[in-house]
Amino acid sequence: MLSLPNELLLSTINSAFPCRQQIIRSLAILLSLKTSKNIVLYGSNATGKSAIAKAVLGLLSKSLPNQGTTLRHAIIRTAECITPRHLVEKTVRAVADVVGYKASNRCESTSQMVNELEKMAFWMQSQHSYPSSRLVLAFDGIDRQSMHTAALPALAKLAELIPGVTCVFIVTNAMNGFLHAPGVPHIHFPSYTKAELQQILSHIVPTPQLSGGEGETKDVWFRFCGIVWDSLSKHSSADLVSMRSLCFRLWPRFIRPILDGTHTAKEFSKVMVVSKYLFQDEAALVPSIVSEAKIPIGTDVPRTMPHGIASQLPYYSRLLLVAAYFASHNKPATDQLFFMKGAAPKRRKKGGGTAKTRTSISNHRKISRKLLGPQAFIMERMLAIFSAILADADGRGKYAKGRAFGDVAGSSDVQMAIATLMSLRLIIKTSNSGDVLEGTSKYRVAVNWDVIRAVARSVGVEPEDYLEE
Amino acid sequence: MSVNGDTASISGIDSNDQQAAYIFTRHEDVPVLPAKRRRGGRSSINGLHHDAAEIRFESLMGGIEGPEFVDLRMKLYRESWGATEGRIQTILEAANEDTLSKVTDFVLNTTIPEGMGTLPTGFIATGPSIASQSLLFKQIAGRLKSQINGPVVTLRSGDATNLKAALKQIIRDTTHQGVDPVDDDYMLAGHDGPNLLNYDLELLHRYVVAHNSERVVVAFQDSEAFDPVLLADIIKLFDCWIDRLPFTLLFGIATSVELFHERLSRAASRCLYGTQFDVEQTSSILERVFQVIVGPYVPLRLGPNLLSSLMARQHDHVQSIQVFTNSLKYAYMFHFYTNPLSILTQPRKKTDETIQSLQPLHIQTVRELPSFRRLIEALIGDGDKDRSIHAQDMLQNNSILLKEMEIYSCMNSTKLLNLWRRMCVLTRSNKMTLSKIELYLQAFKGTLNGSDTVRGILDSIKHMAPGDLISLVDTITGVVKTGDSDYQLEGWLQDDQEFVSKLQDLRMKTLKLYDEAKKAGKPVRSSYAAHHKGVRTTVIAQKVQLSYEKSTLSKHDLEFTGVVDSLTVVLKEYLTFDQPQTWFLSEVWITDFVSPSKDVFTPRPRHVLENSLSNPSDKLPGCDPSVEILSSSTAPTAILYNMYLESGSIINIADLKTSFFSIMEGEDSDDLDEKTLLMLFYQALAELKLLGMIKQSRKKVDHLAKSAWRGL
Repeated sequence: MLSLPNELLLSTINSAFPCRQQIIRSLAILLSLKTSKNIVLYGSNATGKSAIAKAVLGLLSKSLPNQGTTLRHAIIRTAECITPRHLVEKTVRAVADVVGYKASNRCESTSQMVNELEKMAFWMQSQHSYPSSRLVLAFDGIDRQSMHTAALPALAKLAELIPGVTCVFIVTNAMNGFLHAPGVPHIHFPSYTKAELQQILSHIVPTPQLSGGEGETKDVWFRFCGIVWDSLSKHSSADLVSMRSLCFRLWPRFIRPILDGTHTAKEFSKVMVVSKYLFQDEAALVPSIVSEAKIPIGTDVPRTMPHGIASQLPYYSRLLLVAAYFASHNKPATDQLFFMKGAAPKRRKKGGGTAKTRTSISNHRKISRKLLGPQAFIMERMLAIFSAILADADGRGKYAKGRAFGDVAGSSDVQMAIATLMSLRLIIKTSNSGDVLEGTSKYRVAVNWDVIRAVARSVGVEPEDYLEE
Repeated sequence: MSVNGDTASISGIDSNDQQAAYIFTRHEDVPVLPAKRRRGGRSSINGLHHDAAEIRFESLMGGIEGPEFVDLRMKLYRESWGATEGRIQTILEAANEDTLSKVTDFVLNTTIPEGMGTLPTGFIATGPSIASQSLLFKQIAGRLKSQINGPVVTLRSGDATNLKAALKQIIRDTTHQGVDPVDDDYMLAGHDGPNLLNYDLELLHRYVVAHNSERVVVAFQDSEAFDPVLLADIIKLFDCWIDRLPFTLLFGIATSVELFHERLSRAASRCLYGTQFDVEQTSSILERVFQVIVGPYVPLRLGPNLLSSLMARQHDHVQSIQVFTNSLKYAYMFHFYTNPLSILTQPRKKTDETIQSLQPLHIQTVRELPSFRRLIEALIGDGDKDRSIHAQDMLQNNSILLKEMEIYSCMNSTKLLNLWRRMCVLTRSNKMTLSKIELYLQAFKGTLNGSDTVRGILDSIKHMAPGDLISLVDTITGVVKTGDSDYQLEGWLQDDQEFVSKLQDLRMKTLKLYDEAKKAGKPVRSSYAAHHKGVRTTVIAQKVQLSYEKSTLSKHDLEFTGVVDSLTVVLKEYLTFDQPQTWFLSEVWITDFVSPSKDVFTPRPRHVLENSLSNPSDKLPGCDPSVEILSSSTAPTAILYNMYLESGSIINIADLKTSFFSIMEGEDSDDLDEKTLLMLFYQALAELKLLGMIKQSRKKVDHLAKSAWRGL
């Protein structure tokens, strides 16, 4: 019943996945057991779950025949399945491919899948002369998408329903009893420690290399990785993948003093002091989606502000965007104060206030409006604010002579500008009902203060003047 | 509002609008079922062309204009616009050429360094004009299809509302790109087992394997309009498949990459390895397009008013070449459709022929031209007898007028060419780059003479050192000799021989002075450049006295000052600009009507609607403007609207009804019984609701909420 896997073969996997011997062995043993039904592998991102499962399964499918059984495995990457039905079909197809069975029917539900799998398992056993043949299904990342979690208990039952089937679930977070099945063995993949990370990364030879050859490069790289971990990755709880990419990105800039010849590779601590700024700038943790390869190394990466729209959008679109920002961030009650010409402060009610007003004051919202983010506004209000700030905006620009609101009021160009802003998602519609340009449909602005300030200045509006707080 | 509203609304008000109830009558020729929609059908486009061939211009001048002239105008419009459009198209294609080649290179040759994301991604910063994105992406798709081995799919936000739809679209577009779609369909249908789901990327994988594709390019045309969550899902899914499918993504970015990055989830943005491509900005393309449309040899020009209104619209509202081209086309159409004299915009010889064959009414029209009047006034004005007689002849004798027209139309083209040459010299002699549009506007408005630009140049000459002066003169003579490609001018040395020889003389003198001064070891400067006034301070009895002292100028300096002066005079003489709109027959080749273009391209639907409702006599033909608005003779909707304007933000329906009834019954209680009144009231209310002005209030049950304010 218990046939341990070949240690010699396991050692090849061990060398491919350093620091994971124990896990690999326990997984291999669990998979070798004929009675294994469900196995759960869990651990956070980039801890080697999928890769190790794949390697071990591949190894066992090759090596087990010697021991009198045959093992076939199918790995289903659930991230590729975008509907539950897709998952079902994919599973059946993957199994059919593995056992060499010609599936003919469409599979639309879980029960049909069980049927098909049962058929295939029997067929497989009849095909092979070995006393027992086993099928392993590995569902990779099945807890990532909420629509697949509903199928989990059913998949966990698969192994019970069909003899000779083992299911491996690879998940990030193994909640207590999420399979609704008792006694499922779990294997935890812990996050790598600093020493482990350094050991793994030391297998990589980075580019560009130092003049001293590979040995020297590796030496510096090893220590460099340790510093990156201590200064940046440790606090951002980075995994192996992001740490590796961080190291790759910082490496060329770090070794620049060595390549320039100002320091030698031996003076590691001096180089570190020179490049201290690299480890202090946390911007490196959020890499830009535009690759920095085009920017010559050594020059400070220009932090381009998102000012693009301030200069590119047409004049009235900019004003509308500013108006939308005001509408989103001011209370409607204060509009009179900010946007009406010659607005006198609201006359206070004279006489004793009623009890109701008192309570409303005490219930007054304490949270500052700025912290609540942009609020929804109705289109008419935004247009009214637009007309108000248009008077104050300067008619800068070559062709602007006497811009007046009367010229653009109700014009299709303004409506087009609003529609364009919406399709650029600078303004977002929050109410579902109603036509796009209907007066009462609600919107919210979707750009932040920095952008708005640049945009407002470009049309000559001083945004601070119009915002409460 | 009615079934046949489309046809009726052209001629004015649809009579059915005022009906209480509508009877649906089906037209005989309307098919019972709409024709089945087909994808990629080309027949409809061909049909349009067919129709366009049959459309003819209307005969002008009260229908007297001969059919040959009508056809001629149409032909001229087709020719001139066709040529202009072709040139604009060339510019647009060339403008994107740089981006295209960069993108193609990127798609073909990008390799991602280890640990830097997985999906090669191009961000194409197109600027905020969404209209130009479609052309660019069409070009990119076309280019990539011809250059790479693999499918190219362009996704628009409208196509892909969810992940499934997006994948379906990608797979469908891919499989229909193949050389033999039938074969592909067969292959994709799955030779083993049941068909795959139509959103399974396995299909794409099969296609890629079968065709040995190197790249799968997926372009998101208006990436900002996509739901960011959907985009993140797509990116993550592609990331899963990257080991089997060689994806390359392209995003059209209208705002900025940073804003785009902010919206994308961290997990998705980690997959991307991006490069940014910039597209030439609309404003610089506009400048080039502009040069094409106003060049010295085009048949039709835009007047300053029209042009500045178009430019203002570009700056304020749209910033898109496509819109500008459309407005331009409309201006061409408008000119050739409405102006009977537009037949004179042909090349010289043909124009002469046409002039000889003009109808009498044409000649009458010429005599009514403002520019003709101006000409006559100028002839009479100075009291010279011969000229007065000549003016009289032109007014009375047709054949003399025709001859004059020939002379003037010839003269105009020469004058125009000269104008262009002078503008070219002006641009070249200025150190700063002048906006050509601005220059053109000034020239046509007639404000270029003695303008800041001209004065600036003349002033800068005064302060120039001899070396700079020589190079300036060289530049100008060079332009005159070889012409300027920006202005589409060839060299015009034979026409301006005198000017050039004067310049050359001055150049020789300067050179001589320069050399002599060099030998003497003292720099030459003109009296303008030298600070010839020194301040001398003397202290007498503890008081400071300031006195000015003229610094002495050498003989060379004085001579050089003379040269500078004469150069200024020569240039000033040369740089005189005639306002083209004052020339006789300028109406033939200048179109300067702003309002038609405005009406067509920038309608103000809301404004018009509000105005016509609040003041129906302006728009409705049957209304008497003298009658008060709130009276029973006005349309019920207008009455209700005016009451609506007077009310607060919520309106009590009962009150509204009472006052409506009192107005309708008010003066002459005809045969309007209560039922009819109620019906009118409801109809008016329903129409206001349809226009989005009122809706049921949530605060109070029997109230209406106001949802549109006037004048916004």
